[in-house]
Amino acid sequence: MLWVTAAGPSVYKETSAPTYGEGRLVSIVEVQGLRKQYDPPKGVLAVDGVSFDIAQGEIFSLLGPNGAGKSTTISMLSCLLHPSGGDALVDGHSVVTDAQAVKEAIGVVPQDIALYPDMSARENLLFWGKMYGLAGEALKTRVDEVLELITLVDRQKDRVEKFSGGMKRRVNIGVALLHKPKVLYLDEPTVGIDPQSRRSILDGILALRDQGMTILYTTHYMAEAQELSDRIGIVDHGKMIAVGTNGELVKIVGEEAHVELSVDHSLEGMVERWAEVRGVTTAMIDEDRAVLLVQDANEVLPRLFETAAAAGSRITEVNVTEPNLEMVFLHLTGRALRE
Amino acid sequence: MSRILAIAWKDLRSTMRNAPALAMMLVAPLALAALLGFAFGGGQSFSISATKVAVTNADTGASVAAGTAENAGGVIVGVLKSPDLKDVITVSDKSSAAEARKSVDDGKTAAAVIIPAGLSRAIFGSGSTAPATAVELYENPTQQIGGAITESIVGQALLGFNGARAAALAAAGLATANGDGARAGKLAQEAAAKYMQGGGAAAGVSVTQRAPRLPGRQSTKDVGVTGTILAGMMIFFMFFGANNVARTIIDEDRAGTLPRLFTTPTPRQTILGGKFSSVFVTVLVQAVILLVAGRFIFGIDWGRLDAVAALTLVAAAVASGLALLVISLVRTPAQAGAIGAGVYLVLALLGGNFTGSAAAGGTYANVQKLTPNGWLLQGWDAVMRGGGLGDIGLNLLVPLGFAVVFFAVAVLRFRKRYA
Amino acid sequence: MKRVWILASKDLLETRRDRLALLFTVIMPLAFTAFFGLMFGGGSDRLPLAVFNADSGAPAAQLVSALAKSGVVKTETMTMADAEKAVDDNKVAAALEVPAGFSAALAAGRPAALTLVSTAGSSGAQTVQTEVTALAGELAAGERAAQAAVAVAGTPPGGAPGATPQDLRDAALLMARPLAGQSLAHPVATVKIVEAGMAAGQIPSGFVLSSPGMLVNFILFSLLTAGIALIQERRNYTLMRLMTTRVRRWELIAGKAVGMFALTFVQQIILMGAGQLLFGVDYLRDPAALLLMMVALSLFASTLGLLLAAVLTSEQAMVATTVLVSMSVAALSGAWFPLEITGPAFQAVGHLLPTAWILDGLRGIIVRGFGVADVLPAFGVALAWSAALFALAVWRFRLTD
Repeated sequence: MLWVTAAGPSVYKETSAPTYGEGRLVSIVEVQGLRKQYDPPKGVLAVDGVSFDIAQGEIFSLLGPNGAGKSTTISMLSCLLHPSGGDALVDGHSVVTDAQAVKEAIGVVPQDIALYPDMSARENLLFWGKMYGLAGEALKTRVDEVLELITLVDRQKDRVEKFSGGMKRRVNIGVALLHKPKVLYLDEPTVGIDPQSRRSILDGILALRDQGMTILYTTHYMAEAQELSDRIGIVDHGKMIAVGTNGELVKIVGEEAHVELSVDHSLEGMVERWAEVRGVTTAMIDEDRAVLLVQDANEVLPRLFETAAAAGSRITEVNVTEPNLEMVFLHLTGRALRE
Repeated sequence: MSRILAIAWKDLRSTMRNAPALAMMLVAPLALAALLGFAFGGGQSFSISATKVAVTNADTGASVAAGTAENAGGVIVGVLKSPDLKDVITVSDKSSAAEARKSVDDGKTAAAVIIPAGLSRAIFGSGSTAPATAVELYENPTQQIGGAITESIVGQALLGFNGARAAALAAAGLATANGDGARAGKLAQEAAAKYMQGGGAAAGVSVTQRAPRLPGRQSTKDVGVTGTILAGMMIFFMFFGANNVARTIIDEDRAGTLPRLFTTPTPRQTILGGKFSSVFVTVLVQAVILLVAGRFIFGIDWGRLDAVAALTLVAAAVASGLALLVISLVRTPAQAGAIGAGVYLVLALLGGNFTGSAAAGGTYANVQKLTPNGWLLQGWDAVMRGGGLGDIGLNLLVPLGFAVVFFAVAVLRFRKRYA
Repeated sequence: MKRVWILASKDLLETRRDRLALLFTVIMPLAFTAFFGLMFGGGSDRLPLAVFNADSGAPAAQLVSALAKSGVVKTETMTMADAEKAVDDNKVAAALEVPAGFSAALAAGRPAALTLVSTAGSSGAQTVQTEVTALAGELAAGERAAQAAVAVAGTPPGGAPGATPQDLRDAALLMARPLAGQSLAHPVATVKIVEAGMAAGQIPSGFVLSSPGMLVNFILFSLLTAGIALIQERRNYTLMRLMTTRVRRWELIAGKAVGMFALTFVQQIILMGAGQLLFGVDYLRDPAALLLMMVALSLFASTLGLLLAAVLTSEQAMVATTVLVSMSVAALSGAWFPLEITGPAFQAVGHLLPTAWILDGLRGIIVRGFGVADVLPAFGVALAWSAALFALAVWRFRLTD
């Protein structure tokens, strides 16, 4: 069920944004070689030269395993962390030199529920609204609007600590919408939530995009990235390893299919042999099974069985998956997206 | 500015909804002041219960004067039991020295007065070769006050006898010098009797006590015990009240609301300034509530309004500065609670928050001056006795200096942490 | 039972590693004791007394010089205006005004008055008043003795021609005074003070009497660190996790109690050791009795801490409650001021608490030579309390928030 109502359209489109030429989308976020090193010179390089653009009105996902540098990147784009190198322009303002203007343009929804539990939903929104520079009647009106947007009007006077997880997430997002930002950052908004709440949050995000919001979204859930995003950037170990639409990315692995096999014994030996089989591009071990990328499942599968039989092993289980982002990741990094 | 107030108001409201914090900030000081007030008789001054004294009279001497059945020992017992002293000591008779000492050892009495057999003989013995005797005071060393009181009473009584004897000797000497040596003995006795008639040892010099008179001050009031105690408790618990609010800086950092605040267009200085104001405003409100409660529940007269207001503002500055300093130095909420508690306890013990007005000029009064709260408490004492702003200049300036230093260090550390 | 020890040792190990807890439970009290010991351990202070003498006579001068030699007060002469201010500023304990006419009144046999200026409620003023009264009393006694002698024995015959009766009387007094003074200087009846349980001639110093009180105060306060650690453990769910092992609930709680007991016991050893070795507080006068009192105090403190941690859920609540409870208990037990200066009702309430008994016991050991039999009642009271607190704690112990 959609929790973001259709009461929104006028809310976002009233902001005037420059458009160059006809039909050409303008980049509202331009990330240029962002770097972050904690405790230089020997410290961890959390983000190592990340660059990407986000066009106005699109949903852009940063997809990557835990520790890839997604949260650090968003922190730099929120002006919470100083970049060690590089820069980013949000609505034309640099995060390094013009943080104030950047903050006016963005709304940040952190991964944790960052609300005051002993205050009601309304009190929270009023307070954060003041922090975003709203005041007086304008503030009150806006808070009412946001409460309608997140459909919590009848619970607005209850303390947030009494809310369910899903409701808290809604308020969490509502806070970021108060000042009508141009870009909304969502940092892993669906971690640890039941499927129903997750569904409604994803629907809400889509609704916001339809109303003209630009959204930067980080996640390690491939399915979400695939479903929501206009474009995706895959990050690993602080680097951006691929950027594009779902279709463009999947093409990286081409027609390659993902084949998982279990054998009755000597897995390592089998994997080595299979790596030599014609049509197999990558072969690796994931826990107790072999994971292979192959060019044409129909053609390669019989060869795999032959090789196994020749080596005296029995294949006990086979699983074939069509190309998707997990495979893209595997292909690019040699590791699984879920570690 | 309005955003700073918004943050301060949010934190104040949060504190008002936090039961343990309120208990600590308001209930605890009032409850302890009530408890200690009850300790000291609930009245205006330290009133103590009567000291229990055992007495045994082994004196075998003849009666002091014709017509009375008492010997010297008996006179001392009479003095101890006199109705004037009934609020000060309670006397119980024992039949032997051993029994008297036992009553002290058993904790039943604070002191035992053991009158020796030869007392009368010594006092009324003729000539200066009379053997000296001593009245033994067997005291419980843990009851110093009772002991001192008993020493004082018995000492005065003996002074009466020694004085009479001195009169006798002086008379005898005079008689001899006057050529009246034959009547020396008789004159000696008359002189002794005349001395005793003069009203005993207590007459002669009276010592009256009064409060100090200062120019420009109508009257110096007596400070009620409860006022002193509540002032001390108030400042102590203001430290904790400030700590609770300052702690939210760390808590909010962990909970994510502080970083979130940093992502809003509100500048960092404003946000931190808002937190600083929160602490100050909260303890100020706490102090005002306690002062009003002291006035209406305990009937404490705090003194002149301008001086009280100045002391309150400075106290709030000290408490908030100190708490922010502590928080700027620790990393976890647990440390904030534990280190804070320890620091505040040490400062309170040194500053005299628990012990009321310290004996003047003594070492302790100087120790108090090592702490900002010690200065404040001495100032509060002066104001409760009728002093004004002019009397407490240093008591305001020194703590304010402390507060400024605390704030400065806190600001530096926070800037470094949240650059 | 073995599991109880294992649990306790884990807690102690964590405490030993936690530098913060170390600071609080050991270093701070030591530093504090040292500080106060140095300040107050070296005998008692003389109270400052301002003196203003408006009289020119000999007796007044005698009084002032007697006060100057006193071991109780330390005199400083100044004008009356300065003296009033000094009292108000708390720079002196009191101010003595010897009015003009003092000596004359004494000499004429009329009552002579002295005025002592002090702030009510100041305990120093009381002591000063006692001393001034005593010394003035001696002075007056000498004078009155001389006068009585002259009244009775009459004046010497003859004398200078044209001498008035007053002159004759003055001459006689001149002779009588030293005689009286001589007699008073060697009184036949004196007071001999014997402090029960102490060596001859010894008086307990202020520090010796206050050291046990400070010790109890710190032990009660240290419940704070132990309690907070427990609450955090509950929050980390490690407590809950322990319950999924074969550890039984009472073993878990007993383990906590043993840990707290050991902690407070070690603290006592350190504090008492410092007091004994550095400041001459003779805790070891009767080791067996001392051991009983230490066990009693640790039992009470640990079960109290356990109960608080069992029922309170947040660190804030723990801090608030511990501060309030430990301060109330300390005050009621005579840790802050001797109970003898309080009213009977307060003393009665205070002695419901085991700490009051324990403090009496400790002070008794140090100054009065108490033995095991003397402290047994205190031990009994502490034991009863601890059993009750432990039972309550076990009943109400919450494993999760």
